[in-house]
Amino acid sequence: MPPDHLLDDYVDPYDDPAARGRRHGPLRVGLGGPVGSGKTALAAALCRTLGAELDLAVVTNDIYTTEDADFLRRHAVLPDDRIEAVQTGCCPHTAIRDDITANLDAVELLEARHPGLELVLVESGGDNLTASFSYGLVDVQVFVVDVAGGDKVPRKGGPGVTASDLLVVNKTDLAPLVGADLDVMRRDAAAVRGGKPTLLISLREDPAATEVAAWVRQQLRSRAAQHA
Amino acid sequence: MTAALLALADSRLPAGGHTHSGGVEQAIVAGLVHDPRSLEVFLRRRLVTSGAVAAGAAAAAAREGGGAPADRRAGWARIDAETDARTPSPALRRASRQQGRGLVRVGRRAWPAAVWDDLPDRPHHPLALGVAAVAAGLGPDDAARAAAYLAVTGPATAAQRLLAMDPITVATVTARLGDEVDRVAAATSTTSTGISSRTPPGTSPGTSTGVSTGTTDGDGRDPDWLPADTDPLLDLLAEVHADRGDRYFAS
Amino acid sequence: MRTLVEVVARPGPGGRTVLPVVRASGQLAVRRTGPTTVHLVATAFGPLGGDDAEVRLVVEAGARLIVRTVAAAVVLPARGESPPSLQRIRAEVAGVLDVRPEPTVVTAGAHHRAVLHAQLTEDAELTATEQVQLGRSGEQPGRWTGTTRIERAGVPLLHTTVGLGPGAAAWLPPVAPQAYASTVHLGSTAGRATGDDAVRLPLDRGWVATAWGERLTPTLARLALLGQPAPVEEALS
Repeated sequence: MPPDHLLDDYVDPYDDPAARGRRHGPLRVGLGGPVGSGKTALAAALCRTLGAELDLAVVTNDIYTTEDADFLRRHAVLPDDRIEAVQTGCCPHTAIRDDITANLDAVELLEARHPGLELVLVESGGDNLTASFSYGLVDVQVFVVDVAGGDKVPRKGGPGVTASDLLVVNKTDLAPLVGADLDVMRRDAAAVRGGKPTLLISLREDPAATEVAAWVRQQLRSRAAQHA
Repeated sequence: MTAALLALADSRLPAGGHTHSGGVEQAIVAGLVHDPRSLEVFLRRRLVTSGAVAAGAAAAAAREGGGAPADRRAGWARIDAETDARTPSPALRRASRQQGRGLVRVGRRAWPAAVWDDLPDRPHHPLALGVAAVAAGLGPDDAARAAAYLAVTGPATAAQRLLAMDPITVATVTARLGDEVDRVAAATSTTSTGISSRTPPGTSPGTSTGVSTGTTDGDGRDPDWLPADTDPLLDLLAEVHADRGDRYFAS
Repeated sequence: MRTLVEVVARPGPGGRTVLPVVRASGQLAVRRTGPTTVHLVATAFGPLGGDDAEVRLVVEAGARLIVRTVAAAVVLPARGESPPSLQRIRAEVAGVLDVRPEPTVVTAGAHHRAVLHAQLTEDAELTATEQVQLGRSGEQPGRWTGTTRIERAGVPLLHTTVGLGPGAAAWLPPVAPQAYASTVHLGSTAGRATGDDAVRLPLDRGWVATAWGERLTPTLARLALLGQPAPVEEALS
């Protein structure tokens, strides 16, 4: 972690980093979504796909255990020193939205440990449809829902579905089994998302999460272009 | 400057406090806290021990604020060391320094002031609180009050979440401790005159800090020493908690 | 009643320790019981409420000192509203000091205040123990307040005050132990450890262990599980 006197380089107190995008450091990508939708599986897939080309690390916000962090370690998608787990005090969305201190500490610790870091995935604890990341913590956020939750989910909305930078609808392979209509989900999502992208994927069929990885690469490119 | 005090003591100030249970998570596991009455007992024992230590350190830190930069730097480094000595549990030290850093992060921007640069890196939370009070234009008494109050409200909120207690009941328990919070905070302004006036560390035995004139108050306490009240139970709970893989709170 | 004990340990010829100052006044006598050992002997009942005892120990570089007591101290209240009795140990240590008194028993209505203030040089070693039982067998507990402050080269390493007994602010059921024991050791490291109502915490080149319970003997057994520094060896005379 950097020393405390470097904690803040914003001269103007109203110069909100969330509003203008960070000028330096790795791209921080939030991964949110309900329990069981596949956030950890997506994080693991992105680590596998992007790990060879990018210097990356992960922050996990397990609700109770270090299960997600342990999953990533066990599947050896990342070395131990690139995974930080934070406790969220029974309140996972407070930790990513209202008081992001513990997550900022974890991100800064990873940045200090790996000075060349290009990408940090911040995986939230499984929460409901109202959870979203503060842009004080992340640069862009991905909200992950799944087909098994029912094809009504995009229509129900909530900040995760409507305002996330990327909506991922996972487990499309289950659609026939649960009677979910993918076209309905795609159409409803488009209706509430004001042009922001939605990807329908199946991590089972595409364990590399090819499309999501491509979106992350695009975010890195556009930020680089912005600050060039 | 009451509004600044309210902001400093507000549990919604994003300084990371919500991820710490102040020992209450492990106290619940150990069966020591299970209802409003047992919660009140727990909060009381925390208030009069680590709460008193925090209030004393916060007030002492705030007193240093008016000094020349070199003096207050030295004073704050000493208060940090004194707080370490009063916090032998590694888990509690970690929790205190994490929260200190969190408070520095928000405090620097909320109350910009030169004094922040004189703090040691990753200060103990009470020290950061004292400096935040200085930066916000508050005095030592306010710093002590905020420290004592936060010693109660943090674990109270944690218990409410963990036990799904009635929030109104928890608010009542906290309110009932108000007089005791004030008493603990007020005691710090009469006991310690601040350790900064003492001989600095590094001198040889016999002349260094803490050799009092031999005077003590009615309870046998040395008025030259910052409060050092401790509860070994809280140390044990904190260390057992730190070893667990399954926990909601960082401490 | 004021009591003052003073002992100075100094390195003598052939690596031995000499004790040029061994004196006491008031309610404690001090006896040399070995080449580097002194025993404190109570010369009256008590301590009584209002008594004030100070033990000043100086251990110079290269010297060793072992301090023991011959029997448990039974703290009694003074008549009427009893003020606390006070015992302060002030130690300046550049050599090796080992202080392990017999237990302190605080009877009903009494309040004993114990202070250990040790100032160590960089290479000094210290072992100090405290054993407390509130109330004699079948008796209501008395009250005990113990402060330990240890500094090394002027830097505070440990400063804690533990309050036990009725009226102590943090002595609240269900955890209101009548027995308490602690060991602090500076000179060798030990990591943190937890036990049943017992915890050991690391200090810079040292550690402090604490245990509590209803009776002293089992409490001491649980404390011993967390480690016991070997007694300082008597130098050959």
